[in-house]
Amino acid sequence: MKGFFKTFEHDHWVMPYLKKYRGLLTLVLFLGFMTFFCGGALMFNSGYLISRAATHPFNILMIYVPIVLARAFGIGRPAFRYAERLTSHNWVLRIVSDFRKRLYQSVEKQAVAIRQTHQTGDVLSILAEDIDHIENLYLRTVFPLVIGWLLYLFIVIGIGYFNWAFGLLMLLLLGVIVVVMPLLSVAVNGRREFQARQIQRRFYTQLTDAVLGLGDWLISGRRQDFLQRQDQPIDDIAALRRGDHYFQWWRNLAIQVVFGAAVILLVWWAGVTFTHNQAESNWVAAFGLALFPTIEPFADMSQGVSEWPVYRDSIDRVNRLDEHEPVKAPQRTIDLPATLAVDRVQFTYPGAQRQVIQDLSLTVKPGEKLALLGPSGTGKSTLLKLILGDEAPTSGQVTLNGVPIAQLQDQRAQLFGVLDQQPYLFNTTVMNNVRLGNLNATDEQVHAAIKAVELDQLIGNLPDGYNTQVQEAGSRFSGGERQRLSLARILLQDAPIIILDEPTVSLDPITEKHLLDTVFDVLHDKTIIWVTHHLAGIEHVNQVRFIEHGHFDMQGTPQELYRDNARFRALYDLDRGETTK
Amino acid sequence: MIDQRVFKFPGVRRLTLWLGLLTLVQAVLVILQAKYLSVAIVHLWKMQPIGTIVVPLALFGVVFLGRHLVTLAKNWVTYPFVETTTKQLRKRFMAKLFDLGPSVVAQQGTGNVVTMGLEGIDKIQTYLMMIIGKVLDLSITPWLVLLYIATIQWKEALFLLVIYPLIILFMVILGLAAQAKADRQYAGYQRLSNHFVDTLRGLPTLKQLGLNETYAGNVYEVSEDYRKKTMATLTIAMTSTFALDFFTTLSIAIIAVFLGVGLMDNTIQLLPALIILTLAPDYFAPIRNFANDYHATLNGKNALTAVLDILSRPTPTDRKLLATSDPVWTPEDGLSLQHVNVGYDADHATLQDINFQVKGFQKVGIIGASGSGKSTLINTLSGFLSPQDGQITVRGTQVPHLDQQAWQRSFVYIPQAPYLFHASLRDNLAFYTPDATDEAVRKAADRAGLSDWIATLPDGLATQIGEGARGVSGGQAQRIALARAFLDDSRRVLLFDEPTAHLDIETEIELKQAMLPVFDHHLVFFATHRLHWMNEMDYILVLDHGRLVEQGTPAELQAKNGAYVRLRSEMAGEAPEA
Repeated sequence: MKGFFKTFEHDHWVMPYLKKYRGLLTLVLFLGFMTFFCGGALMFNSGYLISRAATHPFNILMIYVPIVLARAFGIGRPAFRYAERLTSHNWVLRIVSDFRKRLYQSVEKQAVAIRQTHQTGDVLSILAEDIDHIENLYLRTVFPLVIGWLLYLFIVIGIGYFNWAFGLLMLLLLGVIVVVMPLLSVAVNGRREFQARQIQRRFYTQLTDAVLGLGDWLISGRRQDFLQRQDQPIDDIAALRRGDHYFQWWRNLAIQVVFGAAVILLVWWAGVTFTHNQAESNWVAAFGLALFPTIEPFADMSQGVSEWPVYRDSIDRVNRLDEHEPVKAPQRTIDLPATLAVDRVQFTYPGAQRQVIQDLSLTVKPGEKLALLGPSGTGKSTLLKLILGDEAPTSGQVTLNGVPIAQLQDQRAQLFGVLDQQPYLFNTTVMNNVRLGNLNATDEQVHAAIKAVELDQLIGNLPDGYNTQVQEAGSRFSGGERQRLSLARILLQDAPIIILDEPTVSLDPITEKHLLDTVFDVLHDKTIIWVTHHLAGIEHVNQVRFIEHGHFDMQGTPQELYRDNARFRALYDLDRGETTK
Repeated sequence: MIDQRVFKFPGVRRLTLWLGLLTLVQAVLVILQAKYLSVAIVHLWKMQPIGTIVVPLALFGVVFLGRHLVTLAKNWVTYPFVETTTKQLRKRFMAKLFDLGPSVVAQQGTGNVVTMGLEGIDKIQTYLMMIIGKVLDLSITPWLVLLYIATIQWKEALFLLVIYPLIILFMVILGLAAQAKADRQYAGYQRLSNHFVDTLRGLPTLKQLGLNETYAGNVYEVSEDYRKKTMATLTIAMTSTFALDFFTTLSIAIIAVFLGVGLMDNTIQLLPALIILTLAPDYFAPIRNFANDYHATLNGKNALTAVLDILSRPTPTDRKLLATSDPVWTPEDGLSLQHVNVGYDADHATLQDINFQVKGFQKVGIIGASGSGKSTLINTLSGFLSPQDGQITVRGTQVPHLDQQAWQRSFVYIPQAPYLFHASLRDNLAFYTPDATDEAVRKAADRAGLSDWIATLPDGLATQIGEGARGVSGGQAQRIALARAFLDDSRRVLLFDEPTAHLDIETEIELKQAMLPVFDHHLVFFATHRLHWMNEMDYILVLDHGRLVEQGTPAELQAKNGAYVRLRSEMAGEAPEA
């Protein structure tokens, strides 16, 4: 229970929306209540109807009202239920729209560290799933719970109206079903949850390991080992599920037993109360039957609540999202052309020991082309982040025309164009994707950009031309074609400084060469900072820098380096496949 | 209604028998429960003293408890069967994966296979847990209740009997209409629902383009659009449940009115009337339960189909044609491929008419542009892919494919990104030879150039690596794979598939220094587009669009001045003007 309040103490994801859509929420709860009310009332009314009829009233009109009511409740129950289901889904989907926008904005504000790696991709999927979880929290836990309680209160007050002492007894007895059992479910599941997550996690890892490493397993010939290794997690997961089931069975039995006791007591009470005359005793059947339809919503309450631990995780995670909103420096703008200066910059990732960048200085004048090389992990990507302002240097500074980069973030898209390893294509048409570079571009401008990157023929030959869907993550196109489409986007964006972050890493040498030729051709008047992992196309630049252990250890034009530097020459020749002996 | 394949699982007949018996008992208890409650109420209605209801009410209590104990008993007898079956399914699934090899994973997608093994089988478990009980409930309880009502009052029973098929008919009609509409909207639907994740993943790109803030509005609009489309579909989809609900509830109301009129006309007494009224909801309960769990049933059924589809795939046969020997490959052995065609689907071959032969410890380079079939050739040589036709001869034995147990013990396979298991570094290094001594592992790691790195690790060889644990760079992963080759001397064939494509040039050179010594005394197949490796090879296969266009020693190919020379010059680009 403590965890429950703690979760909502600083919550700004669940509660605010309950308030925002108060009207619809009330409607959902009303409709839900009416559904079960009609169900109970139908049996209540029917019990009375036949008892009254059994007294042989001399005229059918004497039972006319219960007859009409029987039909009304009979139609009312399904109609209310239908309306309730539609309204609740509509309500939840409305909230989802708000959630999505909200989550997008939260993630967007701290997009600092988010690069397109697999890991962040997973994080994003988890967050998107969290929203689905919160959606279910309403549909499967909150609504049934509140509706169940309303029904409970109605029953208790209804009986209390006749006899407060018996009302109190029902309050306690049914309270076991609607309060104690749900609490017990949360407690038991909360306790098991940690263990369950571990078991599931282990099984997942094991399975992923088995599937991804299948080739190696096959080659190793260790079939027995492979199968034995799965046994333990399979048994564990079976034991986990068994535990879940056993608890549910016994809990449901307990709920039924309490419910049965309530029915017996109700009949007994009705027998003691309504026995003074025939008119009164007609009500006995009504009370005796009315309770049965309520067992379904009552039993669902515990099941819905037991899913709470899953939802709590999701709520905590999204709430944590906007806890650390980064502080933004006051913004300025500069005029172009811009000279980039990196001045004695040092950088260590927060919480890390190792200094990634040690005292780097660099100046790039407008129109200059610079290549950055060096083994992985030496700080090339970090330097790019510092230049873009995604990270702030620990000491020293990065400036454009003397203005620190942190103050230019609002102008960033006008200053920098970026082409990285896996440029992202959205699941829409080619036209829309390229136009993202400049939303005001005319169709002609988009066509011209696509022509400049030499894709006009390919796209012209597609059945849907520029309106071809690129499919998920651009899978309709090859790696080289995807890079070209992003390049077209950058052309439309028309920023003066272009960052190339290993754009050819997954391409074969021929595709790579053609792409680089195009890139340097269409961007000939731009400043280019190009991180690359080998030396193909290096002749396109006028400055080469090697980073090793966080500082520059070789620099010059490619021609100078080739002439004067044996190491560069060796690397270069090797890359071209020539023997250097 | 019930999947016939469920009846193929062992133990299901015995279970069905038991469950049928329990369901029968339960149906009787349901009837008795209604009867005793009605008796008690009628006593009270007749204004008899409260003492007269003690016995019927107590009996009601006992029967009510009994009914729910039977529910418990039903679960109790079902669960062992379900648990054994799902456990067996998981185990058979894993064994099948091993026998089918990586090609099935490539075809189905890693995520898909993992989901199938985890959530898919969980869904089957849920499905099995309820399906047999529900179907039995549906086929026993309503009819027993109806039979009992008929013995009291045949008119009401007839009404209940006639309304039943009508309910089902309306459900089916409305359900089909909803399905048709949902199907039409599915494509647009899918796109909208994926739009959000798509946007989040593309956020860095949006930021680079300066669109990150304006895009928030778009996210909201698309989501609202999605909501409207979903609601339009749901409105129809839920009508089928509504129809069921409407007819069953209304039927109860009509029965109540019927009974009321009957009582007035004195054609029926209160007790039987009350019993019928109490039993009417129980008559409809099984079909309502069944409809409520329809979606879970459908999911379980689909998961079962997917898993059984994998389980029923034929495993490659003839995997033991090649005789075992230690080592499998010696300097005298030969391998030849003649007219071999390989393809991922039956009517289109990716590799066509491949002919070549190698003998002893050769170093064979495989070169070609992207999509020329280099990886397909390596996958054929490793046995992960079976040729459609052609002849393969290993050590004088003719085999239909290289998925030979003996052959697989003879090679080490090193792809662009070797998979690292979620295990200790030692277990990863000794993956092919789990019994190797620590001393041997250390030595192999040293030869692969891993010693310096291992010295920096907190737990040395015992450090956990792989998914979710310590990160390992691309170069180190290659070295770990290489160390496996050092460690297992009986494996004399090395298959490399673009091992250095993603490495920076300096890391690649360091790695090359470690690799070259292993090349001696091994048969090496090396697919790459990094040209400098070709200088280390003594035989080269040039692939172009799935065909082997040239082969020979580097000197021969250089002299020939054909495809190889053309490819090299195209790949190398121009020299800088010094």
